[in-house]
Amino acid sequence: MEKSSSGSFKVMAGEALATCSAACPVHTDTREYVARVSRGDYEGALDILLEVNPFPSVCGRICHHPCESRCRRTGIDEAVSLRMIKRFIVENTRAYRIARRKKAMRVKSDKAAAIIGAGPSGLTAAMDLALRGYRVKVYEKDTKLGGMLAHAIPRYRLPPDALAQDIEDILATGIEVHMGCSVGVDISFEQLKKENDAILIAVGLAESHSLPIPGTGSQGVFLGVTFLWDVANGLCPQLGKRTLVIGGGNVAIDIARAAKRLGPEKVYLACLESREEMPAWKWEIAEAEEEGIEILNSWGPKAILEKEGAVAGIEFRRCGSVFDAQRRFSPTYDESVTNTVEVDSVIVGIGQKANLDFLIGSPVSVNGARLTCDRESMATSEPGVFACGEVMTGPGSAIQAVGTGHEAARVIAHYLETGKILKLANKKVIDIGELPAATAAEARRFDRVCVDLTAPAERVKDFSPIEPVYTEEEALSESRRCLACATGAHLQFPNHCAGCLTCMRICPFGVAQVRRTAFMPVQQCQTCGLCAAECPAFAIDVLRFPTGAMKKAMVDSVAGLDLEKVARPFLISYCCVNGTTSRKYLKDQSAEEIMESGVLRVLVPCVGRLSVADLVSPFELGADKVAVVSCPEDGCFYPRVEDWLSRRINRTQKYLDEIGVGKDKLQLFRMEGSGDESWARIWAGFRAVNIETAVGK
Amino acid sequence: MIVADPKPFLQVKGYLEDFGKILVVGCGTCTTVCLSGGEAEVQILASGLRIAFGKEGRQKTILEDCIQRHCDLEFVTPILSRVEAEGVDAVVSLACGVGVNFLADRLGNVPIYPGLNTTFYGANAQQGLWTEMCAGCGSCIVAHTGGICPVARCSKHLLNGPCGGSEKGKCEVDPKNIECVWQLIYDRLKRLGRLDDLRNLLPPKDWSTASDGGVRRSAREQLYDVK
Ligand SMILES: Cc1cc2nc3c(=O)[nH]c(=O)nc-3n(C[C@H](O)[C@H](O)[C@H](O)COP(=O)(O)OP(=O)(O)OC[C@H]3O[C@@H](n4cnc5c(N)ncnc54)[C@H](O)[C@@H]3O)c2cc1C
Ligand code: SF4
Ligand code: SF4
Repeated sequence: MEKSSSGSFKVMAGEALATCSAACPVHTDTREYVARVSRGDYEGALDILLEVNPFPSVCGRICHHPCESRCRRTGIDEAVSLRMIKRFIVENTRAYRIARRKKAMRVKSDKAAAIIGAGPSGLTAAMDLALRGYRVKVYEKDTKLGGMLAHAIPRYRLPPDALAQDIEDILATGIEVHMGCSVGVDISFEQLKKENDAILIAVGLAESHSLPIPGTGSQGVFLGVTFLWDVANGLCPQLGKRTLVIGGGNVAIDIARAAKRLGPEKVYLACLESREEMPAWKWEIAEAEEEGIEILNSWGPKAILEKEGAVAGIEFRRCGSVFDAQRRFSPTYDESVTNTVEVDSVIVGIGQKANLDFLIGSPVSVNGARLTCDRESMATSEPGVFACGEVMTGPGSAIQAVGTGHEAARVIAHYLETGKILKLANKKVIDIGELPAATAAEARRFDRVCVDLTAPAERVKDFSPIEPVYTEEEALSESRRCLACATGAHLQFPNHCAGCLTCMRICPFGVAQVRRTAFMPVQQCQTCGLCAAECPAFAIDVLRFPTGAMKKAMVDSVAGLDLEKVARPFLISYCCVNGTTSRKYLKDQSAEEIMESGVLRVLVPCVGRLSVADLVSPFELGADKVAVVSCPEDGCFYPRVEDWLSRRINRTQKYLDEIGVGKDKLQLFRMEGSGDESWARIWAGFRAVNIETAVGK
Repeated sequence: MIVADPKPFLQVKGYLEDFGKILVVGCGTCTTVCLSGGEAEVQILASGLRIAFGKEGRQKTILEDCIQRHCDLEFVTPILSRVEAEGVDAVVSLACGVGVNFLADRLGNVPIYPGLNTTFYGANAQQGLWTEMCAGCGSCIVAHTGGICPVARCSKHLLNGPCGGSEKGKCEVDPKNIECVWQLIYDRLKRLGRLDDLRNLLPPKDWSTASDGGVRRSAREQLYDVK
């Protein structure tokens, strides 16, 4: 592995990604941002997010988090709540995010690119191209930036302010934006072609599909995207008392939940699919039902019934199956089973399509409602014209759109420099695979930190956000559930390894093995660090929170002190980082603070990682006493660590007697409650004990 | 494997009172495996020396090193160079006695001290426990004793045992920890269906192949001209 500029571990070609990162369309370095949160470095965590994703604020709210779906912790209990951690990061680093913004990029090239559409894909590509020094103009027909994020996703899930944080950051790169400028209406495609060296079509799927059934022209029938646009723009479409939404996907659920907030007494959602087949996320369906939305499964709309030109109801026929044997959409109906629902409004949310009218008369080839586009090179039929986002991929997710935006910028830059098409290598992502069941069986379970959404009766009253952000304590606690997959132990000095078998014998997960020398399969290692602590050759290190780095930090801290001036007794306290519930003790200590308090704290990911040498060395640095503060009883993430640690402490205490320090100068403490609550008390108590007279434990 | 135990700290410290610059050298083979003389123990001893001398207000420079084996010239040469280049006053070795001797022969006027007590040729009976298995007598007799060595594993080195101190399979010298090897030999021969072998008493052993015959050498003709 190699360290990137921000210090995260970049997995090199041929090396395996953690499953979470592999599942993320932009391969966010999940482990690293979670690790940074766990040690209180929220700003550093934001740096990691922004390396690959200009929309972390949006994703913290609405990402469908494929990372969580593949989190290996599911093999033990439940996935790490990565989206919530992400949201916590973004909401706690606002000032930092503004401060870290680079100045607008200077245009370095005489080449210009136009982007049509300011959705997540178009804006990502625009930003990347601007950062590469090209002149970039974005054309957006709407008066807001963000595409569907701005004018479709309801505010109770994605408040405008959350979107604005990302957009402002992107705009700061110096891209030029023309809002309220619809290509094909306000400016012709031909004109753009003349003015630019490359064009990117990122127009998304802006229109709803309609239904080929009678009655769709009646008053009270709405198309989903238009409906959501009106809602997003505060235009409050007039719905009747009973409203029915057609569609079984996430968009339909959003429509139904938005409709519910506009006041109808009853909102139905009807779809072809059975409950199990519904494409909407399970959690979205559950939340909709909590809000009183009634779901009618396996019904196909037959006709919208009207009375005096207005909707009066809708007639359904039973849908037998939705897909054929090849999993193609091909619904079958049983006409003999019908059902009529009396409603006043119908909203159609059965899918979106692109509006490509602006290309009529241009050489860019369109096939039906689809843009002709080669996925590998993102090129359309016309040289210099490319596409990305949903117009290319079909319906997807925001983060997927972002991913295609990055790719589009790469192919366009290549085109601008060489005049040639770049075929993106069809890179196969290698991940580390599932957590082996045998390892999972040894791991301890820790409950996922869940938040309570606003009560359903409250939340349907308006469009206020319904999900609270993690508190600091919750975020820290959840971040520590990450298994830090594939950043565990490794044989750092293979030629020091004597093949003594200690690592293999001590590993509580049965991971370490010895074949001539030791190796710890990345798929399995749980990063407890016990092997590294016991290795007699100090040949093993742990990638995450390396022991060497911890020692260096301690030595550096002491080097900055005037030992004459340190309040005595000088206590160096090793503490388990997992005990912290805020940044209070995670911050670096100033020399003054240490000298005044007489306490230097050294946070380690698990005090079980401390070797005998680690326990002795603080005395060499000038400590009068050394405290080791472990988790509360049974609080350790790793099995059997407590036992090994207390044996090591015993040995060290005997040695301290031999070398004239005295065994009682080293003590093991168990914290009660959190570190924030108990450490100070432990330190004060231990410092106050007069060791000369103290009786050994 | 050669097994060795740490010497009492104060004994080691005692050797070093008069020296200013001390090099602690670990060994990366046997004593690393028996957890008494590897990289980790070097750090622990060096740290302890610094602390202990520091407490007496005596500033000494304690250097650390660890080599793959003490018993080969190519591996020890860098240590010899380091001692010379850095003006080391004394060396403490955490190798077995072999290593200490091998270095002593080459260290010129720089003294070397053992940090360990070399104990025996043994095996890892359990995690963290080693037991004696062979005495290096130079003419192996275990063909007659089911592969189990009475020379090394009998407290009295009896060639024809057991003695009267064998009780319930334990040796009277330390019944908690030492098994009577003659019980082990008996049980093993029984399992092999060769109990009758015990009727052939072993003749008195010729100890000239052991250290009684003078300092031993072992040569490989294909690499060394035997004189
Ligand atoms: C209701 C709804 C809910 C969703 N919920 C989620 C969710 O929870 N999580 C998630 O990850 N994803 C969600 N998505 C999907 C996500 O919004 C899309 O994947 C993403 O917005 C696609 O980005 P895009 O850049 O391809 O296109 P879009 O976001 O559609 O942006 C295209 C832009 O192009 C503009 N445009 C179109 N034609 C022209 C023209 N001729 N001239 C100028 N501008 C033009 C449009 O106005 C629009 O701003 C949801 C989508 C919808 C509709
Ligand atoms: S445990 Fe952590 S590193 Fe492993 S898959 Fe889950 S989030 Fe990723
Ligand atoms: S770090 Fe822990 S889990 Fe990983 S190999 Fe070492 S002892 Fe085993």
